[in-house]
Amino acid sequence: MIEVQNISKHYQHGGKSVAALDNVSLQIASGEIYGIIGRSGAGKSTLIRCLNLLERPDSGHVSLHGEDITRFDERALQQRRQRIGMVFQHFNLLRSRTVAANVRFPLELAGGLSPAQMDARVDELLALVGLQDHKHKRPSQLSGGQKQRVGIARALANHPDLLLCDEATSALDPETTDAILALLADINRQLGLTIVLITHDMRVIRQLCDSVAVLDHGRVVEQGKVLDVFLAPQHAVTQSLLAETGMGQGALQGIWRQRVATPVIKLTFVGEPTLQPVLDKVGREAGLRVNLLSGTLSEIKDTPFGQLLAGVVASDVDVSALPAIFAREGVRCEVL
Amino acid sequence: MLDFDWNLLLEIDWVEIGEATLDTLTMLGVSMLFTVLAGLPLGVLLFVSAPGQLRARPRLYAVLSFLVNVLRSLPFVILLIVLMPFTLLLVGTSIGVAGAIVPLVVGAVPFFARLVENVLREVDRGVIEASQSMGARLPHIVFKVLLPESLPGLIGAATVTAVALVGYTAMSGVIGGGGLGDLAIRYGYQRFQTEIMIVTVVLLLALVQGLQSAGDSLVRRCRFD
Ligand SMILES: Nc1ncnc2c1ncn2[C@@H]1O[C@H](COP(=O)(O)OP(=O)(O)OP(=O)(O)O)[C@@H](O)[C@H]1O
Ligand SMILES: [Mg+2]
Repeated sequence: MIEVQNISKHYQHGGKSVAALDNVSLQIASGEIYGIIGRSGAGKSTLIRCLNLLERPDSGHVSLHGEDITRFDERALQQRRQRIGMVFQHFNLLRSRTVAANVRFPLELAGGLSPAQMDARVDELLALVGLQDHKHKRPSQLSGGQKQRVGIARALANHPDLLLCDEATSALDPETTDAILALLADINRQLGLTIVLITHDMRVIRQLCDSVAVLDHGRVVEQGKVLDVFLAPQHAVTQSLLAETGMGQGALQGIWRQRVATPVIKLTFVGEPTLQPVLDKVGREAGLRVNLLSGTLSEIKDTPFGQLLAGVVASDVDVSALPAIFAREGVRCEVL
Repeated sequence: MLDFDWNLLLEIDWVEIGEATLDTLTMLGVSMLFTVLAGLPLGVLLFVSAPGQLRARPRLYAVLSFLVNVLRSLPFVILLIVLMPFTLLLVGTSIGVAGAIVPLVVGAVPFFARLVENVLREVDRGVIEASQSMGARLPHIVFKVLLPESLPGLIGAATVTAVALVGYTAMSGVIGGGGLGDLAIRYGYQRFQTEIMIVTVVLLLALVQGLQSAGDSLVRRCRFD
């Protein structure tokens, strides 16, 4: 369990003090993938860098498994950092070292392994990220995706209990991004490793994360399970981030509400009902005929979900009775 | 110059030229060795103690930086003379090849250190930060990150310094330091023996060219691609 308690961080900018983080608190459960999303300048990097104290907050505490690392002295902190992996947007590999030697670097820092043991561990890690065949290359000879795999292998070298990813896929093309995200999901599953990742892309959150925090102007404006936040976004920033990725309906709802004379209902399917012909069934039973206005069918992490906006053209029952009927089928219905 | 008599070349005292060449190489080699030994740590110290850097010590940095600037602003001839008592104390003589080495080192160290500082500044901040995130301590960062990552730049800086030292050695004739530059001045300039001047200049040019191409080829060999 990672606990961030009331951390604030200010920067001096042109004589003025700007709050990069303003009283941020988070709780991250062990073994989960926790996403932090926000617009550029929201304070995401500052926040993730506070988790290993690359950045010292002005106030507040950061506890990893009950240990308050803000109280550690320099030495203890350096020791602790060896077991916190960090992956960077621009990879930050050592140009002077081969792939294998880059992965070996954190093992050298930690000490305690013989050269042969280090080599064995390097091979293990390269196999994990699928780079066995590139062992002797230099970073300059690798593609972006391969560089990030080296970055991930390096971050995992000392068996970390926490992996921090600052926009790990922002410099990669969509296909490579998917492959790297799949690798991270795999690592999370195989090693039970807690992952905190930063992104400005809701798709990354949807594909990978269990929980999410939305950051805006240094404040957490929304947090919770990804499913809940996606299906019922509360804050305007969340809604607009979702809308940009074609996953939000907040804006659409208003438009349809004005244009369509008939009552409008919003149906939300999560999990099993998504795969059932619920609308058809209820349509027959309640004589419900609808005009579909918009819809999303997708997956959040591994859970299928759908959302439909529909105008009620005809119905044997009163519209206000529809939520109860849909609820029997496991579908949430709201009359807008 | 146009009616230069090539037969004069036969009359040159090649033994003296040979000795002068050896003197120049000795001064260059020994002073370069000490310059790197002292200048590299000083350059690293300047880099890490600068404001906003890994071990920011703004006071220390200001003092070191000022000293470096003072030494770099003094003309080398002045340095040669000013340092004579100090040289005598240190190596037992203040003249000749041995006497020249001390001022050469004192002149070149601040020059090289400043170059080193600038080369280290080129190291990607992200890479330094990544190593901090892995728990690296300062010695780790210096020896495993800063120096290896900037090796091509450091070799370039050493080459520039060596070439500058060749120029300095020429002036060491003032204190009887000997060497090719001294020869060029004494015979070529003061006694109008143009042929000796030409030969020494050609040799100095060959030396500088050699240093530069050796440096360049080393840099090429250790670039990281
Ligand atoms: N070293 C610094 N000095 C001054 N201001 C800083 C510094 N680092 C960050 N800031 C400011 O703090 C705020 C948050 O920056 P941060 O890098 O955390 O944002 P971010 O959410 O990661 O943005 P991006 O998506 O662009 O990476 C910004 O207003 C930024 O200008
Ligand atoms: Mg950032």
